[in-house]
Amino acid sequence: MLTLDLFVNAIVAGILLGGFLAAVSLGISIVFGYLDIVNIAHPAFVVLGSYAVYILNSTFGIDPLLAGIAMAAPFYLLGILIYRFYYAFFERHGAESLRGLVFFFGILFLVEVGLNITYGVDYRMVNAFYLGKSIEIGLVGIPYRLLIPFVAGVAMIFIVYLYLSKTFYGMAIQGVAQDSLAARLMGADPIKIKSVAFGMGMATASVAGALLIMISPIEPSMGREYIGRVFAIAVLGGMGSVVGTLVAAVLLGIAESLTSTFYSPSMAPAVSFGILLLVLAIRPSGIFGR
Amino acid sequence: MGARATSLKTLKWKRPTLGNRIVVENIDAGYGAVNVLHGVSMELNAGETVVLLGTNGNGKSTLIKCIMGLVRPSRGRIAMELDGETIELTGKRLEDIVNYGIILVPEGRHLFPKLTVRENLLMGAFRMAARPHIARNLEFCFEAFPRLLERKNQPAGSMSGGEQQMLALARAIMSHPRFLLVDEPSVGLAPILVAHLFEKIKELKERRDLTILMAEQNFNQATKIADRGYIIVEGKIAFAGDRSLLREHHLVKKYYLGA
Ligand SMILES: Nc1ncnc2c1ncn2[C@@H]1O[C@H](COP(=O)(O)OP(=O)(O)OP(=O)(O)O)[C@@H](O)[C@H]1O
Ligand SMILES: [Mg+2]
Repeated sequence: MLTLDLFVNAIVAGILLGGFLAAVSLGISIVFGYLDIVNIAHPAFVVLGSYAVYILNSTFGIDPLLAGIAMAAPFYLLGILIYRFYYAFFERHGAESLRGLVFFFGILFLVEVGLNITYGVDYRMVNAFYLGKSIEIGLVGIPYRLLIPFVAGVAMIFIVYLYLSKTFYGMAIQGVAQDSLAARLMGADPIKIKSVAFGMGMATASVAGALLIMISPIEPSMGREYIGRVFAIAVLGGMGSVVGTLVAAVLLGIAESLTSTFYSPSMAPAVSFGILLLVLAIRPSGIFGR
Repeated sequence: MGARATSLKTLKWKRPTLGNRIVVENIDAGYGAVNVLHGVSMELNAGETVVLLGTNGNGKSTLIKCIMGLVRPSRGRIAMELDGETIELTGKRLEDIVNYGIILVPEGRHLFPKLTVRENLLMGAFRMAARPHIARNLEFCFEAFPRLLERKNQPAGSMSGGEQQMLALARAIMSHPRFLLVDEPSVGLAPILVAHLFEKIKELKERRDLTILMAEQNFNQATKIADRGYIIVEGKIAFAGDRSLLREHHLVKKYYLGA
């Protein structure tokens, strides 16, 4: 019975991890899928979000999740600024691919170094009354510090999905990606639309940052651990497919969790990439690729 | 009762259009060092269907792009007269021109291939002035193009060429146009579909009281629904006249009727 117990627990932990990974990958999927921008700095922004939440939590005692949601607004604006800058200095000159990548790598570096100088390399964490508790359901115990990020991650995916498919701006984000001239002919300004999309991607980083710091203590360079995984999830899900991002993240979460339970935690990343390669070999557009 | 309902239905689309028009005066335009249009003048008056005839590469699309602000003329002027006011269009951006209600169905349709038929139509209503009319316009489009209603949840890219052209037209109706420009709608369609398409354009024009400028190479079909037309040859207006004169013209005979 011990292995069944372990197995069920590993699956549940994997699903929970998946909801969180989806939240971290969502911004990459939007920006990569609709704007063709490889925002390699996204995980660093997630960590930046964690620090913002840490400050609000440790100074004012604000609930970490609420803090992450509140910070979404300034992150959205910051995203618009970054996109405008990127547009003016790179995209407009058709220099987006390699130089653009260098630009976002530079931002990644700036964020990391900035956090390092300001807060040092010590691990930081947040406090909330529920974080140490868990609920027991049959064989499994579910800690709140995993359950809440899962629920919040899934909720965020759902909201972004509704936004993209039901609102004019959401449809325009898709439209600009498919045919920019056509969007202009309907009176939509692609630069404005893309700014909104990039801002939205950044806003998800702030919420994901709150989830990250609930799950584990953070330090400035922590984003690096996620770069490989989040791009794997974005590609696996079919770039720009929000639902695909969630499915891919849950798949990867389960695979990683099973590997570290039954084999070794150090093998977990290899399994993720094994799955990525396998899926791409069979379906190059990803699971939900359109 | 039925007749009264119909007449009311047609009536509610009417709006004061008297004297509204687009005027193109003596423009030169081209791409980089290459000049394509040479001193082109034309006008489009409210309520008209005007056809711009010419074979490949004579400058039809370039003229339409000038009106839309996609190509900047190096000389001359383009203006819109609206309820007695003159609005300069020369030098304006595409976005502004669209906001004046000048709507283009571009060459090659430019649908959003992965969005559904319905989403494509809704995108047509992106501009603010079209938003209040969404419900009525959508109902109108689905009624005028029952095929689109049947396929409303299908991705636009998966439809046939004829259906796609209908969708492109319907999407432009959703933009609530004051002036509708249509660039070579018949390209790539089988002859039977072309005839059907032009009948639809005529029907739309009559039911919605549209003003249409259409670039075409299919002389025969296009002149059937046009009130007037221009023949453009090597970037110059070679002939301007009403439908009957157009059909008689020697250039038309030479280019299209094989005489
Ligand atoms: N983007 C461009 N850059 C350079 N030259 C262009 C461009 N677009 C069109 N031209 C040239 O301008 C001339 C007129 O082209 P235009 O597209 O206006 O013709 P058209 O009458 O619309 O032809 P078609 O029936 O093939 O659409 C052609 O010689 C074409 O090669
Ligand atoms: Mg053309």
